[in-house]
Amino acid sequence: MRTWIIGLLVATLTAASATPAAAQQGVTDTEIVLGCSNSFSGPLAFTGEQATRFGVDLYFRTLNDAGGLNGRKVRTVYYDDAYKPQDAAANTKKLVEQDKIFAVIAPQGTPPVVATLDYLEENKVPLLFPFQGSPITRGKKYVFSGMTLYDRQSRMMIDYLVGERKYKTFAALYQDDEYGKAFLTAFEKDLARHRLKLAAAEPVKRGATDVSAQIAKLQAAKPEVTFLVLVPAPGAQALKERQKIGWTDTVMVSAGPLTDERYLSLAADAAEGVEGLSLWPDPATSDLPGVRQYREAMKRHFPKNEPNRYSLSGYFAAMLFSEGAKRAGKNLTRESLVTGLESVKDWDSGILPPITIGPDHETQKQGFWVKVEKMRFKTLTDWLKSE
Amino acid sequence: MVISGLATGSIYALMALALVIVYNATRALNFAQGEMLMVSAFLAWTAQRAFGLPFWASIVVAIGGAALLGFIVERVIVRRSPTATHWDVLIITLGLSLVLRALAGMVWSHDEFPFPSLFSNRPVVVGPVRLAPVSLGIIGASLSLMLALYVLFTRTRLGRAMRAVAQNPRAARLMGVSVERMSSISWVLAAMVGAVAGVLVAPVVFLSTKMGLIVISGFTAAVLGGFGSMPGAVAGGMLLGVIENLAPLYLPSAIRYAVPFLLLIGILTVRPAGLLGRATTRKV
Repeated sequence: MRTWIIGLLVATLTAASATPAAAQQGVTDTEIVLGCSNSFSGPLAFTGEQATRFGVDLYFRTLNDAGGLNGRKVRTVYYDDAYKPQDAAANTKKLVEQDKIFAVIAPQGTPPVVATLDYLEENKVPLLFPFQGSPITRGKKYVFSGMTLYDRQSRMMIDYLVGERKYKTFAALYQDDEYGKAFLTAFEKDLARHRLKLAAAEPVKRGATDVSAQIAKLQAAKPEVTFLVLVPAPGAQALKERQKIGWTDTVMVSAGPLTDERYLSLAADAAEGVEGLSLWPDPATSDLPGVRQYREAMKRHFPKNEPNRYSLSGYFAAMLFSEGAKRAGKNLTRESLVTGLESVKDWDSGILPPITIGPDHETQKQGFWVKVEKMRFKTLTDWLKSE
Repeated sequence: MVISGLATGSIYALMALALVIVYNATRALNFAQGEMLMVSAFLAWTAQRAFGLPFWASIVVAIGGAALLGFIVERVIVRRSPTATHWDVLIITLGLSLVLRALAGMVWSHDEFPFPSLFSNRPVVVGPVRLAPVSLGIIGASLSLMLALYVLFTRTRLGRAMRAVAQNPRAARLMGVSVERMSSISWVLAAMVGAVAGVLVAPVVFLSTKMGLIVISGFTAAVLGGFGSMPGAVAGGMLLGVIENLAPLYLPSAIRYAVPFLLLIGILTVRPAGLLGRATTRKV
């Protein structure tokens, strides 16, 4: 019995060491394996499912049908973290150590992503385009940001509201975690630049849905503008609560991650007149060539799934990965992918304005202003600057 | 704020009532009550979406579905474990709640959905105060249901039989009341009350597999009022709703979820039987 076990062990070890050391984990001659931990249950389940299975996978399906990347097909693996940092950390470890993925693509949510940051950087696993914008991802060698970072979003929002719209008093309703606090810090800094201060700020616990007390307190501070830094359900709850108490003399402004169709449909008529920063062109109506191709691909592969900005963001992430991998060439390694992505300059995706990545590893830097009219986002400005 | 607190409180009160009804008949705590509520609300939503039923009909579907679910749970699970202690039943219902939530997640996904409301969310101004019809509607509907329950329990044979079982099952059986039937009826009744609470609360907190968590507030309300006492459950629910809504106005908002429990601990220390509960001495 014992000899049998030892024999097996020796065989396994020899087999393991027999694989050439030069080969990159997650890349073979025929396949590239990517993956992420995302929300498939919990408050961001819809977002997570759309971004991955209907977004990232949508682009890779189209790509694989056309022959893949240098003859390699892309395969994806996903696990559910339900927006919990501890689960995200465990899932990510599993992806890297058991599923042997090449890189992490499009995970979601500030707290879960932040929980995996150090582990991935230490193990030199690229973390590509997370669907979150905390500036904490800056300055890492293997991390490329996805969503426009929160401090850039804040700068665009405040400069526009103070500069063009001449508003002077601001308040914020924010989620009590990395996501909300990153915005809050940025708001305070940007307001200070205009010699202004936040009149009030109220926290909302992650996963909570009742925000009536916070709304009552914010109303008492009489702000001209109230920022909402939340996820869709409490965001919609805030709008309904405001309608319920008849608070009309404030402009509700949603931060980039919140400005979406989901939040709109939950709030229904309570959303009328709400403004916000939008990070993506309208997925259902935009005439941009990239968005059209996305809609056609969606119709072909998932005809029952309506276009939305989450699947669009995942689709875009997969597209940008492919661009970087193409630039890395036949010898695809983690190092060559990083170099490949860093060399992206004025690249036109047909979805967002031309993208230049460079050494700061920031991919998206823009957003534009929208206002809700009859349950749709109406564009009010061109792309705003965040430099 | 008080009105909207009373509206939330009415929902808690209904949940507490549902728990108390089952408790009185079977001395068991139904931790799956919240998930049964969630499933009924989803049934109503499906009836509207998939079969295009009008809102009223979908409520009937929800209540009917809940009644069936309550019946099945009692027949198939609770009664099959006659040797089980109350603790066992408690764990069974706790497990059932997890099962129901997982199944609902598979059928309907874990998203939040907007749920149509019977009442408008736009406020009406009455003199110096603004009132939201949605709050008044919830309070009105809950009070009517409570009144109906009151009549059922005090004025009908069935109600008397149920109360008899609650007081002393053995004596009730000797008097010719079927304890099993009462147990079954109370599960069905509790599930129906829960379904009404579900349909009322879904437009406010949105329809999702998480909404069953409201059972915790219902439980708190029931304990607050003195477990086993139906007027106590109502009073406890209302009190809890108002306090939860008012406390954050004077204290930091983050404390909101702690306040009801602080109050609970306070009341239990002073009056272990709850506000309206009868103090009992148990023979050892």
